Order: sequence, then structure tokens, then C-alpha cells
Amino acid sequence: METIALVGNPNSGKTTLFNALTGSNQKVGNYPGVTVSRVSGVLRTPHGHKYELLDLPGCYSLIARAPDEKITRDVLLGDQQGSDLPAAVLCVVDASNLERHLYLVTQVMDLGLPVIVALNKVDIAQRQGIRINLELLAEELGLPVVACQANKSVGVLDIKHAIRRPLPLPSVRKWQADKHTEAAITGLAHQLKAQDIDNAGPHSIHLLADADYRNNQQAGISQVARQAGIDSAESCAREGISPEDAISKARTQWVQSLCSLVVRRKDPAQGVSGLTLSDKIDQVVLHPFWGWLVFAGLMFGIFWTIFSLAEYPMGWVDAGIGLITDGVAATLPEGDLKDLIVDGVIAGVGSVVIFLPQILMLLFFIGLIETSGYMARAALLMDRLMNKVGLSGRAFLPLLSSYACAIPGIMSTRSMDSAKQRLLTILIAPWMSCTARLPVYSLLIGMLLAGYGSFVQALVLASVYFLGTASALFAAWLLAPRVKGNEGPSHFLLELPEYSVPDMSYTCRHLAERAWSFLRKAGTVILGLCILLWALETYPKPKEGTPAAEDPALALEQSYMGRMGQAIEPVVKPLGYDWRTGTALIAAFAAREVFNANLAISYSVEEGDDEDEFLANLRSKLASATWPDGRKIYTPLTTISLLVFFVYALQCLPTTVVVRRETGSWKWAIGQLAGMTVVAWLAAFLVYQVGSLLS
Amino acid sequence: MIADIASDLKADSAMTLSKASAGCQLRIRQLEGGECQRLREIGFCEEMEICKLSDGRNMICSVCGTRLALSKKLGDQVLVEMV
Repeated sequence: METIALVGNPNSGKTTLFNALTGSNQKVGNYPGVTVSRVSGVLRTPHGHKYELLDLPGCYSLIARAPDEKITRDVLLGDQQGSDLPAAVLCVVDASNLERHLYLVTQVMDLGLPVIVALNKVDIAQRQGIRINLELLAEELGLPVVACQANKSVGVLDIKHAIRRPLPLPSVRKWQADKHTEAAITGLAHQLKAQDIDNAGPHSIHLLADADYRNNQQAGISQVARQAGIDSAESCAREGISPEDAISKARTQWVQSLCSLVVRRKDPAQGVSGLTLSDKIDQVVLHPFWGWLVFAGLMFGIFWTIFSLAEYPMGWVDAGIGLITDGVAATLPEGDLKDLIVDGVIAGVGSVVIFLPQILMLLFFIGLIETSGYMARAALLMDRLMNKVGLSGRAFLPLLSSYACAIPGIMSTRSMDSAKQRLLTILIAPWMSCTARLPVYSLLIGMLLAGYGSFVQALVLASVYFLGTASALFAAWLLAPRVKGNEGPSHFLLELPEYSVPDMSYTCRHLAERAWSFLRKAGTVILGLCILLWALETYPKPKEGTPAAEDPALALEQSYMGRMGQAIEPVVKPLGYDWRTGTALIAAFAAREVFNANLAISYSVEEGDDEDEFLANLRSKLASATWPDGRKIYTPLTTISLLVFFVYALQCLPTTVVVRRETGSWKWAIGQLAGMTVVAWLAAFLVYQVGSLLS
Repeated sequence: MIADIASDLKADSAMTLSKASAGCQLRIRQLEGGECQRLREIGFCEEMEICKLSDGRNMICSVCGTRLALSKKLGDQVLVEMV
């Protein structure tokens, strides 16, 4: 199947168009850097042809600085190993920003591939009084230009029609540089051709336009070609010409003259100085004082809603679990099968699934932040603070995404151009509490503050998130001088998109997908682990007539899990935990949510069910658990120590695998896992021991 | 040659974007420094009319209707004149 590459500036609506053309549901957002890896889907044209549509990371230019931009450059220049040159390029351009977006189009046109221009967001351009002469634009570019509005699927069929067979003729370079630079481009292209370098013309322009590309030994072009590029650039320098500067100037001049021909503004001053609604909102949300207040209020509002509103759907799930438990208990005869299903499967999986409404609510709010346009403002607001710890405000984008899940957060660091800052951000991202921790926090905070309302609970949850974030920034400050990187200063440069009303149908589809993936995880990994944990806590069964046969607590102690737990107890006792909590902590390394499941199983195995409400039952069992000498296990201090442990521990093996892939080294991945585990233990130890001394 | 001298004279009368006051309408005269290419790619190119909306450690400018936040150090590389 032939490939069509989809390229465009960040936030041009590329992924929205990709979803509309392929029927996919890839993540979209209203901030730069949402797409950081190549994603493909199948596009069917009305003529019955099938193409593979490749959604490439957004970039302002093919002069790549960040790892995600390098993917786009390498695919388009044919440097990507294992993939052929695309058959055509679909270039997405924001109609309300034509002057800025055509720069990338000039670079794509230099590639000599068939190009189709999708002029997106025509509705916004119209609202802003911008009129674009489509026919003239297409004539001047020498390319098919299709107006569209991807978020409403307007013009999508026209784009499919434009991707007809045979594909449009290859594009031709339109801009002209000074004669020295032109001579250098032609001369280098001849040299590359003589050396049998594929795609000699586009490579010659790119070698001269991008100093990093020709000087970088890891670039996907041969050493001979790079050397020819270096020689050619040096000969330009001897004439007093910087080829990079000359080429970028020639491109911008051509774009400006084209725009003066095809773009008409109703009120020319409006596009420059008129204050929009977004500007007025920004005057508040970016204010040095009010901005922080809005940020703090927004975060607290989210946590408060999680505790207050989620109560209702959680009650429904709770009642459902109760009904299932009663139904199974009444149907199945006494025996191991009933114990497995009631004490193992329902107790274990139920203790995780009950928190689904809270997880979905948090994801919903993070989705709103991502799609409304606030995300980029939060990054700008955070820049000063982030700079103090050796990071740029841009690093806050992946960190904020990590509140949903550290894995996409870590992957989105690909849009950062500084390798040192990228590594630092990857190393601290897991301390931004993800949604997998939420069930544990919720269970523990509910126990700790049983008599308090949702306001106080939300305040404590917000403090737990703050602790993770503040510790992450402190760790970045500590690590910054130790992480090697001989780069120049990284400058803050970020596009602030217009605020937009989030697309609720997309948000709901996205949430349904996340809910399904959570339930799938609960029905596979967590269910499997629950069965295993139940078996470890039930077998070997005590012999008839022994004291353990009469005493479930003693039987549990003698089970495989009991024996393992007692071996672990010396490590976890200084933190205030008994062996059951210790084994739950170890099991949580497979998936954090299993902590709840393991506690639910071990207490069901020991005591059996005695109350109607599942969650209240679990919390009261934990609250009444005692040490052999009668002291309570889950004192407020133990609960806080557990909360602190979960804030710091990296109990997520998939994250470690992704860190290995993104940093290219096991050293960082294992170091991060070990470091965070040690910090978690020490912090929980300090909390418990110092707290015990003071109380 | 004459064009170069004229351009130098214009540049002499220009100020950096960082020094321009917020709320001013400006025209970019010249880009000077290591990040010229990057600035052009994002929209700060010669002869472009822009508006500086806010000042501070990171300033916000309106370029072709889009709001771009950039650091003071980048602003120092953009020479502008009042429109």
C-alpha cells in the first residue's frame, strides 16, 4: 500500500484531520506537541484506492531540533530506515495563519513529491475577516489546494477527491536565493547525484539549510554526502554568505510576496493589535498574582469534584458489587470455588473497579485542560519556577500530562529540543501522581479522614499531588548539575493557541476508550493477579484438627503468602506496616491498583464479608486490623506513611521499559526505579519514625 | 552596497523587541543572533508587522493574529521599529 504523509505546523489541526480521514480516534489537543510519534491509518478515496496515511509529528520547519521533528524530517527526506519515501504529502495549513504556515509548505515543496494543501480552519479565518483567494493560491503554489474544517468534517471528501490517481504532479521549488547560494545548491545536487545519493535535489537544499543535519554524524545520510555539504557551506562562508540564513530569508520573502497577493484582511490592523477574547482571558490567567490563584483554584476544584461528585457513581458501582457478591454467595455451594470468586475475584477486582468514576473524572478534567488551550498558559506561568530548577516552562507540558499517566507524559518529552532538559523531565515525570495511584490515595484518605467531608479530603488529596510535584522539581534541581549536556541555553518559545470550547463528543469517546482500557486491565492483569494472590493466601490449607483450621488469621499466617510476608516484614515494619501491607506493596509493583486488591483479598480471606457496603466494609476492616499485641495497624501515622510511599515509589514496570526506550539506556531506567524505591522507603520511614517519636 | 548601508542605518535606529514597550505596534527590521532561523520559522521574519502585547521575563507578541510567547533573550535578537 502506498503511503501519504500528513504534515503541518503544531496545532494546525493535523490529527483532527487524520481522525476525520481515517475514522481513527487519535489523541488531539489544543497545545503544541500532542503528536510525537508517527501514527498510521487507512485512507480510502472515493475512487476506491487505499493509502496508508501517516500522521507525522507537527513542526514549524523541517530544520529539526527536537526528536519528534527529526522523525518528520527523516520520513520526508527518505532517511528513515525501513520506510520508503511517501508517494505524496498532505500538508495541513491553518487558513487564519497562512503567513506563518506557508514556510513549512515551501520546505515540503522542495522535496519534489506530489503535494496537496489542506487549508484548515477556514471558519476561523472567515470570522477574523481574512479572505483567501484559493484559485490564485493554488496557481501560485502549483498545487491542489482544498479548503476544509477538520473538526466538523467539512471538506474531508474534497481532500479525498484530490488524492486521486494518478497523483498530482511533483511539486517544484518556487523561491530563489542569491546567486552564490543558488550556485552552491546546484553544485551540491550534482555532486550528490554523482555519488548516487537518493533524492539528491532535496538533500542538497537541506544540507545547506540545516547546519545541524550536515554536522551530525547520526543523521540518516551518508558520511560522503555530509562532507560534500560541509565543503559547500564552507565555500559559501568564504564568500561571506551563511547558506542557512540566505535560504530561510529567501523562503520568508517568497511567502510574504505570495501572501500579499492572495490574502486580504477586512481590517488589516485587527490581525496585529486587536485584543481578542483569548487575550482578555490571558490578562487574568497569566497575571503574576491572579494567574497563580486561578491555577491553584483550578487544581483544587478538580480534586474537590473528584471527591464530592464521584461519590454518586461510586455508590452505584458499590451497589452493583454488593448485588453480584450476594448473588454468587447465594448460588454457589460452600467450598473453594465460592471462596475464590467471592474473596478473590470480586473482592480484589471490585476494590479497583469501584474507583473507576474518580479516575474518569480526573481524566475528563485533564482532557478539558488539554483541549481548551489552558495547557500552554500553564507552561508559560510555570516557566519562572521551572527555570529555577534547571528546566524550561515547556517541560511542564509533559509533566502535566503525567498526571493522567506517566507513559504518554514521558513520550511527549520528544517535543523538547534540549536533550538535557528532556532527560531531566523523563527522570522526574513518575513523581507526578498518575491515575493508577488514585484508587490507593482514595482508599487511604477515606480511611484517614473518615469523619470529614469532601472538602477536607480534597485538600489532603491536593496536598498529596503537590508533594509529588514539589519533590519532582526539587529532584530536578538536585539532578540538573549532575546530568551531562554541553548544550547552549534553551530559549522559551511557545505558541499560545486561541481558547476553544472543548469538543464534547471527542472527549466522551476518549473517556469511553480509557474506561474500556481500564476495565480490560481489571479483567485481565488485575483479575489474574487476584486469583494468584487469593491462592497464595489460601494454600496450603491447614489440616483438620490443627489450631489454624479454627483460626482464619493463623491459617493466613501459615499460607504461602503469610510465609513470604513474614520474610518481608523486617523491611516494612520500620515504616509501620504489617506483613499483609508489605506483600500488598510488593504486589503493587506489578500494577499499583493491586495494592487495594491484595488488602481486600487478605482481609476477606481472614474475616469474610459482614457488611452490605463493599467500600465501607473494606475500610472498616482495615481500620480495625490490629497487631498481635492489640495495637491498631492502620493508625493515622501508618496511613500517612503509606501515602508518602505511594507518592514516591515507581511501581510501574511499563514506565521503566518506556524510560529505557526513550533514554536509550538501561542505566537511567534502572537507576530511576532503584532511586525512587529507596526515596519512597526512606520518606515513609522518616514519616513513621519521626511521627512516632513526636506522638 | 548602498542598500547595505541603508539597511545598517535602519538597524541603527531600531531597538530590540525586548526593549519595546508593551502595546506597541512594531515592524521587524532585522534578526540578529544565533536563533534567526528559528525565529523566522515561527513567524518573526523581516518586514512582518507585530504587536507586543505584554512585557516581562517572557513577552507575548501577536504575529499574524497568533499569540507567541518568547523569552527576553530571544526578543534581544529581534530588531524592531515603531509603525
